[in-house]
Amino acid sequence: MCARQILVVLSAAMLAPGISIAQAPADSARTTKKAAPRDPAQSPASTPRPKAASTEEFPAAEVRTGEQRFVSQCGFCHGRDAAGGETGPDLTRSEVVASDMHGDKIGEIVRAGRPGGSMPAFPLTDKELQAIVAFIHTQAAKFASLSGGRRTVDETDLLSGNAADGQGYFNGAGGCSRCHSATGDLAGIAKRYDALTLLQRMLYPSGRPAPAPPKATITTASGQTITAPVSAEDEFSVIVLDSNGTRQAYAKDTGKVQIDNPMSAHFEQLGKYTDTQMHNVFAYLETLK
Amino acid sequence: MRAAGLLLCTAAFAAAQGVDANKLIHPPADAWLTYHGEYNGQRHSRLAQITPENVTRLARAWTFQTGQNQAIKASPLLVDGVLYLTTPDNLWAIDARTGKERWHYRHPANNAFHIGHRGAAVYRNTVYLTTPDCHLIAFNAEDGKKKWDIIIADSNKGYWSTNAPLVVGNHVLVGVSGDFDNVPGQLKSIDADTGKVQWIFYSTPPPGKPNSRSGPDSGGATGGQFWTTGTYDPELDLVYAGTGNPTPVLNGGARPGDNPWTCSIVALNPNTGKLVWGFQVSPHDTHDYDANEVPVLVDADFNGKPRKMLMQASRNGYFFVLDRTNGKNLVTAPFATVNWAKGIDSRGRPIPDPAKEPKRDGVLVAPMESGATNFRPPSFDPKTGLFVVSAQDGYGIYFFKPEHGGYGWAGADYNVAGKSFLRAIDYKTGKIVWSHAIGDGAGTAGVLTTDTGITFSGDNRASVIALRTSDGATLWHEDIGRVQSAPVTYELDGRQYLLLGGGPSLIAFALP
Repeated sequence: MCARQILVVLSAAMLAPGISIAQAPADSARTTKKAAPRDPAQSPASTPRPKAASTEEFPAAEVRTGEQRFVSQCGFCHGRDAAGGETGPDLTRSEVVASDMHGDKIGEIVRAGRPGGSMPAFPLTDKELQAIVAFIHTQAAKFASLSGGRRTVDETDLLSGNAADGQGYFNGAGGCSRCHSATGDLAGIAKRYDALTLLQRMLYPSGRPAPAPPKATITTASGQTITAPVSAEDEFSVIVLDSNGTRQAYAKDTGKVQIDNPMSAHFEQLGKYTDTQMHNVFAYLETLK
Repeated sequence: MRAAGLLLCTAAFAAAQGVDANKLIHPPADAWLTYHGEYNGQRHSRLAQITPENVTRLARAWTFQTGQNQAIKASPLLVDGVLYLTTPDNLWAIDARTGKERWHYRHPANNAFHIGHRGAAVYRNTVYLTTPDCHLIAFNAEDGKKKWDIIIADSNKGYWSTNAPLVVGNHVLVGVSGDFDNVPGQLKSIDADTGKVQWIFYSTPPPGKPNSRSGPDSGGATGGQFWTTGTYDPELDLVYAGTGNPTPVLNGGARPGDNPWTCSIVALNPNTGKLVWGFQVSPHDTHDYDANEVPVLVDADFNGKPRKMLMQASRNGYFFVLDRTNGKNLVTAPFATVNWAKGIDSRGRPIPDPAKEPKRDGVLVAPMESGATNFRPPSFDPKTGLFVVSAQDGYGIYFFKPEHGGYGWAGADYNVAGKSFLRAIDYKTGKIVWSHAIGDGAGTAGVLTTDTGITFSGDNRASVIALRTSDGATLWHEDIGRVQSAPVTYELDGRQYLLLGGGPSLIAFALP
């Protein structure tokens, strides 16, 4: 196991401000699938339902027990029916759930929580966990047999913009081309993400793969200058990853700290877009296949 | 002037047995008797032992571990040297001098939402607890023995409760949550002694009575839940409370018009439950902008005249000052990024911009669903006239298409990004006097101000912070875990304590 890599994944999550659980990074340290790197934890409402690895049926009593615990502890965020709530993703469309066998994937997330505080850890017993797993799989199977869905955003819903206007805005007033290029970092971007995820990442990149972290330039009291990616930051200190991937904390009152955050431009852009411009740029990105 | 009067009163009532109506109006220094500490909801303390000069010497006096998975989101009560602390399904009595448990009630497992709990209430020798499955339980404060247990709403219909009740006279006022289902909002008055229902105020028509005489036509909307704790003016004998969003939540077309009294501040007679006035903070809401934030009561000058005011920094991004005798608007001004309104109407209400209602292809809206602020209580500092609130600038995308239907959420929305600040608002103008960044995402900590000019709160990582109220400069911080409650303070045996939750632990700070 690569502890450092996990560390990096964890810290990247902390960097993504304002992320809801729907945008929490996935367990990339574990996932080995060669499929398109779509974030399984992203609300995948605009994607086809993943095929379940397990078609197991569960005893009704276990499902009922699981439902009770799920509704009380998970339901506010994930919905009472597991199909998405105020802040949590629709688990009936989750690739984590689809690839789960007997709780091996679900259990890990439930017990460890999601990094960055987007989901707390739930220290359940094996029996309690199995009941929840039974309920989630039962719901996923139930929803897979239904058409439609009341919280879905489909790809066709999002294609209202004018791609040519979007390209003009991208290269002009929007200033997107100052950092991005249709033939460089964004080449084939529409192949890599489903429509809703692409729109979300266009507005504010988060999730997996993690966007470039902010860079800190620290001038220590002794005059040494360190430049390193930021793992976490608050008013009082900055934690950076050194060249070995180890977290190093620096108090801000003992030296000079300058943070260069590429996400700032995305945040500022949120206040500049009209909805039409947003849809146009999105339509343009959708052409980058 | 008023502060001095209150201090004199506290001495006179300190000897009274139990918590009576007078004590609730004039709480002594060695107590925190209601969720907000005082009926006015200012969360401002006159205690002066902790000062900007010595605040850096604050040290942990004790720590109480709830042993729970969930963070403390409650304001604990302090009555006769005993603290009452809650989390969903749990109530503890804790010795305030040592942090040791005296008794603990654990409610049976149930399948209502367990998203948080705001606190208990106390009257005479009884402690009141709401539970996620909508029970209201009365306990003997001394030993935790159950006196009675009633059901205040049907949790099978989609209601749940996180509510810290408000006690006014012998009325225990309780509300519930429920915006995943099309159910009416209700505030219930329960007899403090017997547990009998005294009255119910419906913010939207009760079931089966779409044109009820109890309120105006809601335009077909349900919802408008009372899920936070209101405030009370003993002189006017009026209770003030905020109501939540209408349902269906994102589908505005299913419920034309303003949808009163959702997303509103209402003034009620506590004896009858009758509406005296209402002010709609978000007419025809389509973004989940609950107006449940604390209606803070302030007596002060406005335009050179003494006024009885009510102030709310609302989830929709606007700060409101009302004349609380009649609900007339004095100030409406944004305190965070907003783009959902196209102006302010003649009554001081924001006018929703139809272009920012949820759409099939999505609209970018500020604030996002988690709000420009939310459940975390603000504080009013009478000396500086500053209203300090945990604010968020940020955007979300909102979707609705007819296929989403007209039940419950009826749409989809996603938070995009936000940045949080503690902001001090000049109540006379609504202008921001200072803004102190506390991190990315939404804040979770409430605010406490003190007479010595300190603002206590928490940042978005893991620190309790003390700022200078006049300019927002940092005075002190300590890493205690993410603060998700509002700090409270009291004096015990001549020592001032600062008490707050850091994650699942309750931590008491004091000077050495």
